[in-house]
Amino acid sequence: MANIEHKMTEKESLELITSMINQAKEKVNESGTLYLLWGWLILFCCIVQFVGVEFFNDSNVYLVWLLTWVVLIVQVFYLWRKRKRIRVKTYMREVNAYVWVVFFISLMLLFFIESRFNAYKVFNPLLLMMYGMPTFLSGIILKFKPLVIGGICCWILSIIAVFTPIDYQVLLVGLSIISGWIIPGYILRSTSKATIPKSIRDEKLFV
Amino acid sequence: MQFKELDPILHSQLRLAVISLLISVKEAEFTFLKEKTNATSGNLSVQISKLKEAGYIDIIKKFNNNYPQTICKITPTGIEAFENYVKALQTYMNL
Repeated sequence: MANIEHKMTEKESLELITSMINQAKEKVNESGTLYLLWGWLILFCCIVQFVGVEFFNDSNVYLVWLLTWVVLIVQVFYLWRKRKRIRVKTYMREVNAYVWVVFFISLMLLFFIESRFNAYKVFNPLLLMMYGMPTFLSGIILKFKPLVIGGICCWILSIIAVFTPIDYQVLLVGLSIISGWIIPGYILRSTSKATIPKSIRDEKLFV
Repeated sequence: MQFKELDPILHSQLRLAVISLLISVKEAEFTFLKEKTNATSGNLSVQISKLKEAGYIDIIKKFNNNYPQTICKITPTGIEAFENYVKALQTYMNL
């Protein structure tokens, strides 16, 4: 096997190293599907909740949030089935995935603490603050500005929420989802469509 | 003569390419390395076995839904060897 290889010069060695490192370097190649899926889902829940409470005074509308559990279960099942297609694990993707795991755990803790102390007044501002964190961090990790801006928008909306009547706060949550997930999701989608072949896009879809 | 101090394990096109890829990622599947290096499966297996013998990489073979997978991962020894190799190159090139 060695006979097909010729002796490399130092320059060739360095060129080879650089070219391979560039090959392995990750570009922003997420397809944005998960941002769009969750973005639209949560926006839908926000709107249903607002309309239900504001116009029909029906507290059952909160049940619409159960949809998020259904989607979560479907997503976990889907990820489990797709896992064999991931051929390379990078530190960047791993860190990015953990950012969202940390977000999910913190969110569950927030629900628990809020219900334990019945602290419904501070819930939405805290929720907005939490949305900002993974969005901002993912933007930094993926070097993707729209997510960074989206994260900052969530934090600004969190401050605004403090001064907003509680029934209207859910609209700010909706706005944060549009700026933090839906808009970046569509930008990711259009860039990935333009630059990455479909097979690779599918492979990179799930972190 | 000046190549004397360059690590012979790394101073080979395909092995150096594999190590350079693995240094940038956490782990990679055989097919990924094959695609990026444009090597044949036979040649690539021989070269990754040599890297494994030298203790530069770990090879994990497993089955995923009846689908065989060979996963390669650089070891701390491999990282050190790569760093030394790059340092040696830099001295030769007076960088």
